[in-house]
Amino acid sequence: MPVDKDTMIEAIDVNKEYRRSGAIIRALADVNLTIKAGEFVLVQGPTGCGKSTLLNVLSGIDLPDSGKIIFDGENIARATEDRLSRIRRQKIGFVFQEFNLIPTLTAIENVESLLWPTVLREKEIENRAIAALRDVNLLERKDHYPVQMSGGEKQRCGLARAIIHRPRVILADEPTGNLDPESEKQVMDLLKKIKEDMETTIIVVTHRGSLASYADKIVKMEKGAIINIK
Amino acid sequence: MAFRMWKKAVLMTLREKKLFSVFTLIYTSLIFITSLFWELAITGGIGEIAGYFVLIFLGTSLLLSLLYAWIIVSRNRRTWATLKCIGYTNKNINSLITGKILFTTLMGFIIVIEVLFHYTAVVGYLQSAAILVSLPLTLVGLLPVILTSFIFILVQMVAIVLANRKILKVRPMIALKKVGE
Repeated sequence: MPVDKDTMIEAIDVNKEYRRSGAIIRALADVNLTIKAGEFVLVQGPTGCGKSTLLNVLSGIDLPDSGKIIFDGENIARATEDRLSRIRRQKIGFVFQEFNLIPTLTAIENVESLLWPTVLREKEIENRAIAALRDVNLLERKDHYPVQMSGGEKQRCGLARAIIHRPRVILADEPTGNLDPESEKQVMDLLKKIKEDMETTIIVVTHRGSLASYADKIVKMEKGAIINIK
Repeated sequence: MAFRMWKKAVLMTLREKKLFSVFTLIYTSLIFITSLFWELAITGGIGEIAGYFVLIFLGTSLLLSLLYAWIIVSRNRRTWATLKCIGYTNKNINSLITGKILFTTLMGFIIVIEVLFHYTAVVGYLQSAAILVSLPLTLVGLLPVILTSFIFILVQMVAIVLANRKILKVRPMIALKKVGE
């Protein structure tokens, strides 16, 4: 189905509307976007412009009203919920603005949790989690709970969870939104390193213009439409 | 894989100390009291009324089990949504929740058995010294405890079905919203 073997994700004529308080909000309007494998893409725009909705439909968290999302050769716009879950577990890593670590689990358990529902052996899962934590320079904090970590450490833990399964794509929703400038630099440098070392496609949604230097491609959105790609 | 999910459910349950302690205590008390009245119903100790008490306590356990299931799902909506985002299926999450609910019930059963064993040991020891000879050596027979626990587990099935239905409604998008949004 993909037009180009280098294409990782392709959005074709994607539309999405929401109803809020009786009014119809057009979150995505005829969006067409091609993201190549190994690209670092920043999606920017003002609050409410549809950038998070775009991230949701690209990952199959939300389905478009019309159009196609070709993810690694498969149209996920009409996939079942179970199929979408499996695609996310195998091919996508998520990084959240609010870190979304499970408070009752330690750093290493949080990282491992992604692989719990797999057939991998416990030892293999542990080894991968240790490697992922080492990649984000957080190994010494592996037995700490989220409440014992700083914002930057929590986000690096979230990043380790996002890479433990060596995903094809990492989707990050405002990953530095809750971080100080130093932690922001650490997290963005790590994302860039992951992109280079693992040839992972990185898609970052952000409203911060200061992150532009990390990107291979910048997608600007306004009122649900892509107004500029450079 | 389901076994691992249950193992992790036990781990997560034990870490939620307050909720786990409160509900284990409630289940322990209910299993103990229901078993006791069941024993009285069997032996005819306080007449027909014992049977009504058994029904009342089983009804209470059903309500509390539903409450526990509701708390497990509602309090952790963000966690379940996050797990859905990172690739858990509804079935995976249901395994975690089933493990949490059954483990708490099982702990209640084990504590009741433990208490009854200790009671028998203490009373047996004291009676060997001719103290408290009027107390029965067995407070509640094993059969009422096992029957009560079995019915409790059946009651938990209703709670698990409720939890599973609620989990279907947790949308992964919740994980992407800001806290408090």
